[in-house]
Amino acid sequence: MRYGEADRILHLYTPDRGRVSAIAKGVRKAKSRFGGRLEPFFQLNLVLYEGRSDLMTVTSVETIAAYPRLREDAAALDGAARACEAVARLFDDGEPHAGVYHLLANELALLNREPQRAGRANSLAFRLKLLLAAGFAPHLAACASCGEREHLVGFSGAAGGVVCGACEASAFPLAEEAHAFMVAALGRPLAETPEAPPLALAQAERAITETLEHHAHLRLRPVGTR
Amino acid sequence: MLAPPLQRLVTELSKLPGIGNRTAQRLAFHMLRTSEQDAFALAEAIRDVKLKITLCEICFNLAEGPRCTICLDERRDLSSLCVVEEAQDVIPIERTHEFRGRYHVLGGALSPIDGVEPEDLRLSQLYARMDGVREVVLATNPTTTGEATALHIAAALHERAPDVAVTRLASGLPVGGDLEYADEVTLGRAFAGRRAL
Repeated sequence: MRYGEADRILHLYTPDRGRVSAIAKGVRKAKSRFGGRLEPFFQLNLVLYEGRSDLMTVTSVETIAAYPRLREDAAALDGAARACEAVARLFDDGEPHAGVYHLLANELALLNREPQRAGRANSLAFRLKLLLAAGFAPHLAACASCGEREHLVGFSGAAGGVVCGACEASAFPLAEEAHAFMVAALGRPLAETPEAPPLALAQAERAITETLEHHAHLRLRPVGTR
Repeated sequence: MLAPPLQRLVTELSKLPGIGNRTAQRLAFHMLRTSEQDAFALAEAIRDVKLKITLCEICFNLAEGPRCTICLDERRDLSSLCVVEEAQDVIPIERTHEFRGRYHVLGGALSPIDGVEPEDLRLSQLYARMDGVREVVLATNPTTTGEATALHIAAALHERAPDVAVTRLASGLPVGGDLEYADEVTLGRAFAGRRAL
């Protein structure tokens, strides 16, 4: 966020302190000593001065990873923005989670290495892993209501996962392909996220959206249709 | 504590960006000490700018009247269009005397996180200006949102107006800057765009 004549307020995600805000003074000047390092999607070693206000001040910056290739691809940029937004919305200030930090770094590294992977399947896989880190991972192995392992035909955000034919009252239909996508996306590394038909991805997105609405009380922007 | 008219001036001044209460008080006392002529000239200038300045109907730059001075200037090159985020970005480009074409002011940059989507920018008006244009220079800021906007516009123009050349301002090191302080992305681009001497 731009602030004052040449400053910027930054929202950072750190492994030790979770989400923190800091002000970078003079960063918008062409000759700033910070250069372009304080743009979004950089992984950095930062020195922050903690004064009396809630806002820390950036005093020194060193790049760990700049991810230059993702900045040249519109879809990769969009995927990175959605990933950062999801982390910022789901995790409050002062909630450190090293796993989430590494997950976000992995996502940015993947989008930089293989920008063509950016898209709906990748964004949904990232959100599913984020749900897992936040403790909201949906039950996918058995009916979330009765424990039945067969005939899983729907998904219920309220129940917290897939449901069987007998328990599907408040659920929406979940195709086998959507179920398989969610299981694979949760179980495999981000770089191995499988593709799935558009209908299956739409159902997986609805499942994630309902889970977030019921359990975290928030709604993320749709991941798009690519 | 202050007389009501003076307090009102302090309150109004402190609404300005970067002006706190103490600075507002200092400015208010300065205005009190200054001549009537200077103080009224300032008030008149503020009034004028609010009443007379509009957006140019062609490029959305700031204008006094329906069209800005650049769009009214017949010596400008009609085949070249420079796309900028905000009207204030026109000024530094004009100061270089390197560009003789016309401008298009988008009114911001794409930023999904802040909810700025393509419909919020003057993109349809840009695409409607492609008649007779041979080059579009994308001069959005070299920030993440500026780059995303440039990529979006480039893709749309390649589809809608394939004969138009789409170029982007080069990235590199600032004159007088130190290599030691250059970030990796800027230095990488400076290397990629190096010139033979």
